[in-house]
Amino acid sequence: MTEPHDLTTEAPEATTGAPGAAREAAPDRYPETGAPDETGDLHGVARHVLAKGEADVVIGWEEGRRGVRPAFVTTPDDVERLVFDTRCVHNLATYLNPRRRQVAALGRPAVVIKGCDAKAVAGLLREAQLSRDQVVLIGVRCGGVLEVAELDEPADLTPETVSPRCYRCDNREPHLVDYLVGDPQAEPPRPPKTVDERVAELEDAPVAERWHFWVEEFSRCVRCYACREVCPLCICERCVADKSVPQWIDAASHPRGNLSWNLTRALHLAGRCVECGECERACPSGLPLMLLNRKLAQAVRQRFDYVAGDDPEVPAPVGDYRLDDAEEFIR
Amino acid sequence: MSQERQTDAAPALFLAEGELAALVDELAAADVEVIGIVEAAAASPAAAAADVLHGRPALEYRVLPPGVTPLLGPGMPRLSLKGFFLPQTEALFGWRQHGADVGIERSAAATRPRVALGVKPCDAAALEIVDHVMNWDYADDPWNERRAATTVFSLACPVEDSSCFCAAVGLAPDTARGADGLLTPVTGGWVVEPTTEKGAAFVAAHAERFGPAAPALVAEGAERRRTAAERVRANLEIDADSVRDWIAGHFDDPELAALGVRCHGCGACAFVCPTCHCFDIVDETEGVGRGTRRRLWDTCQTGKFTVHASGHNPRDDQNARFRQRVNHKFSIYPLRFGEVLCTGCGRCSRECHAGQDLVEILGAIDVAARRPEAAVAAADGGEA
Repeated sequence: MTEPHDLTTEAPEATTGAPGAAREAAPDRYPETGAPDETGDLHGVARHVLAKGEADVVIGWEEGRRGVRPAFVTTPDDVERLVFDTRCVHNLATYLNPRRRQVAALGRPAVVIKGCDAKAVAGLLREAQLSRDQVVLIGVRCGGVLEVAELDEPADLTPETVSPRCYRCDNREPHLVDYLVGDPQAEPPRPPKTVDERVAELEDAPVAERWHFWVEEFSRCVRCYACREVCPLCICERCVADKSVPQWIDAASHPRGNLSWNLTRALHLAGRCVECGECERACPSGLPLMLLNRKLAQAVRQRFDYVAGDDPEVPAPVGDYRLDDAEEFIR
Repeated sequence: MSQERQTDAAPALFLAEGELAALVDELAAADVEVIGIVEAAAASPAAAAADVLHGRPALEYRVLPPGVTPLLGPGMPRLSLKGFFLPQTEALFGWRQHGADVGIERSAAATRPRVALGVKPCDAAALEIVDHVMNWDYADDPWNERRAATTVFSLACPVEDSSCFCAAVGLAPDTARGADGLLTPVTGGWVVEPTTEKGAAFVAAHAERFGPAAPALVAEGAERRRTAAERVRANLEIDADSVRDWIAGHFDDPELAALGVRCHGCGACAFVCPTCHCFDIVDETEGVGRGTRRRLWDTCQTGKFTVHASGHNPRDDQNARFRQRVNHKFSIYPLRFGEVLCTGCGRCSRECHAGQDLVEILGAIDVAARRPEAAVAAADGGEA
């Protein structure tokens, strides 16, 4: 396991990756190219894995009518559709959930992943939702993404437009991959306020004020569960929110039901959430769900010395058992 | 369609910009609730970044607090007006039980009089379209009471973006369907045209705020409406009747049965939709011997919507669920009620996290429906 980031402290100065430096430093074990006669780019690798039968479908991004969206490419001739740029914010690992039957029906997948997405794949592997030999992983080097995919052209990352989660990304070059494509990327800009700063700001407020903040925010929740459905790690066969005998969580979107749902969602992802931000982005009511996710990630880091990374061999606190556990009841 | 309902009996009126605040104050003083579009109260960092990238703030419908005037300009609220008539959650009745003694207490849906000022025409039209189902096999009292209590003025729409397609579903950016009148932005204010008795009564009750509209302003408004209509037609043109018949005859068509691959089944499309009206009913106990029956929005895009007690699910994957969405809106509903269950607001395309795009899908179905063999199949009433 690499040195985990301290999530609660200020970032060190960004190491500016001079183009080329990262490439040289990159480990050798991932082929840059699919085949000797192919270029080592996304199209080349996608064409290779489809032509050689390594995968039946490449899940990547394509240009849609409203910007970039997930794409499912099944023939080598079609790989030119695939793109990767700052709009490619979606975490496509979500489609590897075995419960996505309409995706599973397409056959063996190859999926294009950023570093953050690789952590979600690791989560699925860690929790036995997927086996490594069932999927081809095409990693892309990433210099950060925007918060929206629905733009006609890729936009440059600015402090105002960069996804706050990209700041101090520790995985801009995914390791959990079969192929790695793209040029080394520069460090993304620092947002005006980092997620940690937002969390700290909220924590500084008195309890009553914090309570009011969340009551207000949750009052806008319409209980569509978009946050759950887009989450790559919300993998329960049957979500507790959908259980009605007994009704653990009130289905109605009154304050009690909304608090109950939103806190349960966040807690159930503690130590599992990879902070890809898809829940927050999918929310039609604009709830700041990442504040909760981040707070819990901080707690897990402090209490269990664990940060969700892209090494599936490192067990997560909820899936691990240790004889030297601090809690007596579990020993 | 809207044009048919425009009456030229009453001359057009004019609401000057300076009179808007006075009108809203007057309504508040008369204890009338005013609903209007305002900038969204709170936004996640993601939503804030999206605002920057899209170059506009997120909007929402709100009951206006005192002193706040509605925005009567371009911009589409993320959620439709639907929630003011079919709330996301509402109590239907409360119950108490003590032994054999059972008591039911109805929850009153009726609201005090309300005026919605500057509603998107596609949102107002949805009210009238959903009226069909809300008064079909039974009369939905809470819906009807809220409809009766509310006076709606639509605001002629400039057409927001390439996802608007009201013209393709028989509406127009200046339709007054579902509304009691239409406001058209012009220099210095709005041309006001009441289209129902309720609308005329509203204008009469606040006569001091409205003046006659100068012919030049009426002409300016008409020109704006004409160019908007032209613009929206360029986004999508379909033959809704052919689409309806093609879907009805092609349930197992491979294309229709493969529309949901990228769909997450999150249902955000249904929740932001002005016409999606499905609801679930739950009983929530409050301690022992008492509780509340509530209804809440539901969506056909989740597996839970159709799963049987046995565990069998007739719509077992997202392809089946998305087909249902298209089928219900563009075939089942028009076959039953004579019009599509869609007003072309485009929210489903705008809000979709995965890039599902009804504009593209309807366009593709329209192309399929125009193929010669499709016409033959539809005529036979059989499967392709």
